[in-house]
Amino acid sequence: MKKLVLTLFIAVISIAAFGQNKLSTTSGHVKFFSSTPAEDIEANNYKVISKIIPSTGSVVFSIPMQSFEFEKALMQKHYNSKKFLDTKTFPKSKFKGTITNLTDIDFTKNGTYEAAVTGTLTIHGVSKEVSEKFAITVKDGNITGVTEFDIVLADYGIIFKGGKPSTNISKTVKITSNLNYSKESA
Amino acid sequence: MASMKSKIFKLIAILVIIALGYGVYMWFMPHRNIQNTKAFATIDATTLVNEFLSDNKKATNLYLDSEGESKVLIVTGNIATISEDQLGQQVIVLKNASDKMGVSCTFTVETNKQVENLKIGTPVKIKGVIRSGAEYDEDLDLAENVIIEKSAIVK
Repeated sequence: MKKLVLTLFIAVISIAAFGQNKLSTTSGHVKFFSSTPAEDIEANNYKVISKIIPSTGSVVFSIPMQSFEFEKALMQKHYNSKKFLDTKTFPKSKFKGTITNLTDIDFTKNGTYEAAVTGTLTIHGVSKEVSEKFAITVKDGNITGVTEFDIVLADYGIIFKGGKPSTNISKTVKITSNLNYSKESA
Repeated sequence: MASMKSKIFKLIAILVIIALGYGVYMWFMPHRNIQNTKAFATIDATTLVNEFLSDNKKATNLYLDSEGESKVLIVTGNIATISEDQLGQQVIVLKNASDKMGVSCTFTVETNKQVENLKIGTPVKIKGVIRSGAEYDEDLDLAENVIIEKSAIVK
């Protein structure tokens, strides 16, 4: 009996301890890529903050918008300006969602798992419900997350009428993210 | 008459050259050199964080630029953590033990070496460009540091 109580006690403690665990990063990589016959435009950001709580399946992202770097200085200025992302008014893009197939993912066992994530993506002050695939790889305790999806700029109120940007920037841009998470106790 | 025509032709030619020159300049316009830019202010890490926490709008207006050319700052504080980001850039977080949030300063390939001999707890002065402010996002349960990039140690 004593043994059973002790086992139960340890089980409860370890579940509670695991439940407290968070996976986090403050240096994730997000890239966006736009391709038109006129030119290809790419921008990279290595300051993405993200957190996953394995026990609840909660996934959040916070992206400092001025940390996107372009090859050309002029493009970077255009991107930040009021006409496009207006990064002074909206300095961060955020995502808050949950993994809907949490039982398919074992954060303690090596492997690559395809997480289905549903939540709210806020860019340029506009929030949209999105559902995307997030590939989670567990390797010897190290956890990485990779995702790739397209966004339609007009969905987030980013519309350019006429001029060079309307021919040089595609209406749909590809977002790729690659994050190395580390364990953090709450 | 002929000289009038040639004058107009010359004028047009000059204007075309100026326009082309401007176009080429804009296309090849270099990125701002942060370390050669005069710092807007020298500020303590705790003070900078608190400015954002007490009035985010006011601090954002003061430090961020609408075209992304935000203020260059010299931030002073004690080193709380030293890490490396996914691009291999060194990252120093300046934060006092009693503060919830700090100032994250990312170095560059050129300035990474300056971090080599630094130790946790050492007071330093770091110059860089601010990208975003500190914030506690209750909805996401995230405590977000001030983000400074293109950093270098200032003696």
